[in-house]
Amino acid sequence: MIVFNVWSLLQWYLRPIIKWLLRKTTKLCELQRICYGDKAGAARTCNVEKSLMLSRTRDVQEVVSFLDAVVLEKRFTPNNFYSILDPSVSIIIRVKKINPKLHGSFIVSFRRCLEQIWSYRSLVNEIEELRKTQFDSNNVEHEEKLVRLWSLLVPQEPLESRITKQWQYIGFQGDDPKTDFRGMGLLGLENLLFFASAYPQASSHVLSHSQHPKYGYTFAIVGINLTSMAYYLLKDGSAKTFMFNDKSCLPSATLFHKFYCYLFYEFDKMWIESKPQNIMEFSMIFKKFENAIRIELADPASVFRINIEVDTV
Amino acid sequence: MGFLTILKKLRQKEKEMRILMLGLDNAGKTTILKRFNGEPIDTISPTLGFNIKTLEHRGFKLNIWDVGGQKSLRSYWKNYFESTDGVAWVVDSADARRLSDCARELHSLLREERLAGATLLVLANKADLPGALTVQQIKEALDLDSIKTHHWRIVRCSAVTGENLLDGMDWMLDDIASRIFTLD
Repeated sequence: MIVFNVWSLLQWYLRPIIKWLLRKTTKLCELQRICYGDKAGAARTCNVEKSLMLSRTRDVQEVVSFLDAVVLEKRFTPNNFYSILDPSVSIIIRVKKINPKLHGSFIVSFRRCLEQIWSYRSLVNEIEELRKTQFDSNNVEHEEKLVRLWSLLVPQEPLESRITKQWQYIGFQGDDPKTDFRGMGLLGLENLLFFASAYPQASSHVLSHSQHPKYGYTFAIVGINLTSMAYYLLKDGSAKTFMFNDKSCLPSATLFHKFYCYLFYEFDKMWIESKPQNIMEFSMIFKKFENAIRIELADPASVFRINIEVDTV
Repeated sequence: MGFLTILKKLRQKEKEMRILMLGLDNAGKTTILKRFNGEPIDTISPTLGFNIKTLEHRGFKLNIWDVGGQKSLRSYWKNYFESTDGVAWVVDSADARRLSDCARELHSLLREERLAGATLLVLANKADLPGALTVQQIKEALDLDSIKTHHWRIVRCSAVTGENLLDGMDWMLDDIASRIFTLD
């Protein structure tokens, strides 16, 4: 504890001195050094975020709290970027005395970092809201989603009725899935639905694994447990590596669903490779899987892809 | 002094107890465990496999095993019976539809030789929900009065509000303690 306190005290005084020295020698501010020095993606964006959060310049702190407020008002969307980000970027280049004519490429990459950082923050709120929405069997929309999940996963066989043992075929616990979503709420259903609709091949591949006579597991329940894992990884910031390294899109619900699909596909692979004795080994293998994912996410250079190689045996 | 006596002495010294939480799926076993341990209860997902928590309560060291209640998992419950001191049987008081399933599972559990002597606490959970059955109704549906082989008690409780949870647990701990920690 004491060692920790001494260290943070040292950092508090040392950081500005080191920053000043570097500024004098390189003629670049910290944000520029990050944007020019670090690889685009999680490495750069996370360092920019850290630098902004540690900043003691009042104007920078104000930009941060302004952007946080925009996120709270749910206005941090791509069509507002122009009106939100341009003033923020100009404030930063003014206080940091950056010449926009000389450092055009800095502005481009710094702006991208801001987009990523605050899209992530607004995603956290969006996902939290979905999770808090309980599955409600009186809600037509919820019910329709549930039935669609069935028809996507088992197109060859219609549901006999809304309450039926058939649900167990796709790995719900009983004859009515409504009680299985629990604390993950609608998020659990949306995740499953995305997996089944966006990756029909991968999801049916995983579903068929889940029906293996020896290494089978309950597909939907495992899916809801993976929703919980994805949710926690998003909340504690570990999922930033995944989200910021995606070159094509900003953090969004779709990207979160893709993250989930990645986890599902990889978990299935690990489960089958572990050759478990029975389903009671789930807790252990799940923990092992989470650790492996956390190690991967801890490296900002990790790139995640769903490598679908459907075995034809 | 035999090995078992030494083990028993050791257990007495540490005041260790092993408690098994069972019941149908969606009864609220994990929620009760988390509530008991002071963890947040709003982000729970269905249990596949089991959770173990070791916690200290009133000077006892409790090893609580919370095993998933889904039908396909029930055949594995027996793997967790060995040296169980108490069984907390969790019932969803608002799920009248499956109460007969619940009664059947409970009575087949009580016939288990390895659970002979274990204290039984029936937790009538979710009592705060509208439409929840009364303790009397559950007692009758589960035919608790026919149980002569175990010390038992039924408690109306709610993991969400925390109502009666401690009272129930405390009764079970006292009952177990009076059995295994009193020196002959």
